[in-house]
Amino acid sequence: MDPFILSFAVVNGLLQGGIYGGIALGLSLIFGVLRVVNFAHGSFLMLSLYLSFWCWNLLGIDPYLSAIVTVPAMFALGYFVQSVIISPLIRRERALVVEPLSALLLTCGVFLVLDNVALMAFGPDVRSVQLSYYLPSLMLGPIPVNIPRLIAALAAILVAVGVSFWLRHSHAGRAIRATAQNRDAAAMSGIDVPKVYAVTFGLGCAILGLFGALISPFIPATPTIGLAFGIKSFIVVVLGGMGSIPGSIIGGLVIGVFEAVASQFVTATSAAIFSLGLFILVLLVRPAGIMGKA
Amino acid sequence: MSNHRSQRTTANKSNLLTGALTFGALTFYASFAFAQAAPTVTIGCVLPLSGGSASVGSQTKVGAEIAVDQINREGGIKSMGGAKLNVVFGDSQSKADIGVTETERLVTRENVAALCGAFNSAVTFPATEVAERYKTPWVVVGAVKDEITERNFKYVFRINNKANYDAREQVDAIDLLSKETGKKPKTLGVIYEGTDWGRSHAANIKKFASERGYSVVLDEAAPPNQVDFSNQLLKVRSTKPEALIVAFYTPDHLILSRQLMEQRLDVPFGIHSVGGGTEDPAFYKAVPPRAVGYYFVQEDFQIDITEVTKDPMILEADKRSKEVLGYPMSAYTAQGLSGVYVIKDALERAGSADRTKLRDALAATDIKSGPALATGYQQIKFDEQGQNTHAHGAISQNIEGKRRTVWPAENRAPGVKPSWPVPTWSERPNS
Repeated sequence: MDPFILSFAVVNGLLQGGIYGGIALGLSLIFGVLRVVNFAHGSFLMLSLYLSFWCWNLLGIDPYLSAIVTVPAMFALGYFVQSVIISPLIRRERALVVEPLSALLLTCGVFLVLDNVALMAFGPDVRSVQLSYYLPSLMLGPIPVNIPRLIAALAAILVAVGVSFWLRHSHAGRAIRATAQNRDAAAMSGIDVPKVYAVTFGLGCAILGLFGALISPFIPATPTIGLAFGIKSFIVVVLGGMGSIPGSIIGGLVIGVFEAVASQFVTATSAAIFSLGLFILVLLVRPAGIMGKA
Repeated sequence: MSNHRSQRTTANKSNLLTGALTFGALTFYASFAFAQAAPTVTIGCVLPLSGGSASVGSQTKVGAEIAVDQINREGGIKSMGGAKLNVVFGDSQSKADIGVTETERLVTRENVAALCGAFNSAVTFPATEVAERYKTPWVVVGAVKDEITERNFKYVFRINNKANYDAREQVDAIDLLSKETGKKPKTLGVIYEGTDWGRSHAANIKKFASERGYSVVLDEAAPPNQVDFSNQLLKVRSTKPEALIVAFYTPDHLILSRQLMEQRLDVPFGIHSVGGGTEDPAFYKAVPPRAVGYYFVQEDFQIDITEVTKDPMILEADKRSKEVLGYPMSAYTAQGLSGVYVIKDALERAGSADRTKLRDALAATDIKSGPALATGYQQIKFDEQGQNTHAHGAISQNIEGKRRTVWPAENRAPGVKPSWPVPTWSERPNS
């Protein structure tokens, strides 16, 4: 294999993997704290993409600046979904134990509603932000690196570091970690568990809000775009370790680089199959994922 | 029910009043919208109204609706006493299994006289099998998979190109431009979506390429709904095809076209898209114009048809399309329009909504004028397999922001000069 092509593949894989990881962060965070598998994860990303698109289309806001709209809006939506839709399910369970299956089905319903409401409201047309300025590719030697993708991939790492730091050192972060470890003990120590849940869900969605704005310059918005990212996010999170913040980024990078390099030898379709093979292999050796605690 | 009634009202004039009254009572239950004296003929269209091809399906739906409105306004099916046409839609969700159950529903529950659809080859292929089993004529709209009209079916008719024609036309265009300029690519690459349409197109390209002395250096399929094409594009970079044949639906084509631009990937003899995404007006709204500069697009539609036709119905359809969809008539709108007019033509000649009689009338179709030719054909006439042998596409090149027909040479407007080979990214202004 030509070393130029191989290094190009690695660069592509790192960029794409970083983006996968960043998008999966929220899913991992929500699972780690609430033990809720959020099937509507991709749909929230789809909404963020539309939000960013409409900000640009109707208000003329630059997609990167639209993050100041999408992040709070998605936080509010996440907070709402948790406190109004999922919370009654948790309340019904006496010991605050959610049946993972019923929560999964519930978020699956949210996914179906959101995707179809988007189809009804926005129609099936593909929509895309067009930057008014031109960002030339950064040349890494002979390899062109697309700036918007680089920004998104770097943002993923920054957000992961930021969220980890915040969870470790802030009061709210400690409350979230305490709730994740033992919700009954946390409740007895005076932590408002339902609020922690709502904030965590909101935070998970806010991260998607950020990534919706960051990827809108190169990913077109369609009502079905969420599913493609949603499924990738699941693979990334399970591979990296459910609930682990660094695991999400590492999982993304592993999948990204593996698929990029493998698809230079076989068709990209088969490479995706092999990456699922790798996924099974990793889970056989480390059932909790690369960074997960068993 | 309406079928029997309609036969009787035309056959027996003295019973006309009774028949009309009875029919009125019957249709009152069936449909408030069509509760009037003239009988209605219901036809069904299975289209991808949601899922990956939803954008295309909704355009075809608009085309079919425009045709139905026009036909009813002009007095309906005259040989059936002015019977009104009614079209019901089934949403295939771009999926084969859903398309099949929707077809069953339209045939058994809606009792349609004829069917049309279903754009996606993967849906049309099994769904037409259902239609054949129920002996219900199906007018294929949009789907190009060769085998659809190669199964000795009696009830399946296709107005548009086979995949095979599309591929041949693309290679023909490359041959023509090479002959005109004396500059000929030696290698081709083909990159396509991995379902029925893309795969059959790639197989045909490879067949014609080897016959005409091109070597295919890249053959890459990708499943629908990709979020990134950098891996595939890197393969284009490493295998260096001199011309790249592309077959993708809108969302994937959009990402591919953007990344081709971002990566400044030069393909000396250009990108040759076989429609799909590049036929979709929504595509051009969502892509920066410089990303699709010099693209060759093969489509079953002459992009400048409204400038050459004088048919008032086609011009009106173009106007209505602008009102409803916000953009001029596309290949898909034209195909929906054409499909309904072909069924209408057969209904006129059959004088009945009986499926077998309608099938025989469709088989005898020979249309040489009128709105059925909205896609730019000169004639519609089916061979014994139900394929319109007069179907042909047109290939345009995006020259200075305008899509101009360059193939066939006879269709090229004076003053249109194809760009061959295409400029590299560094030679293009503003990129």
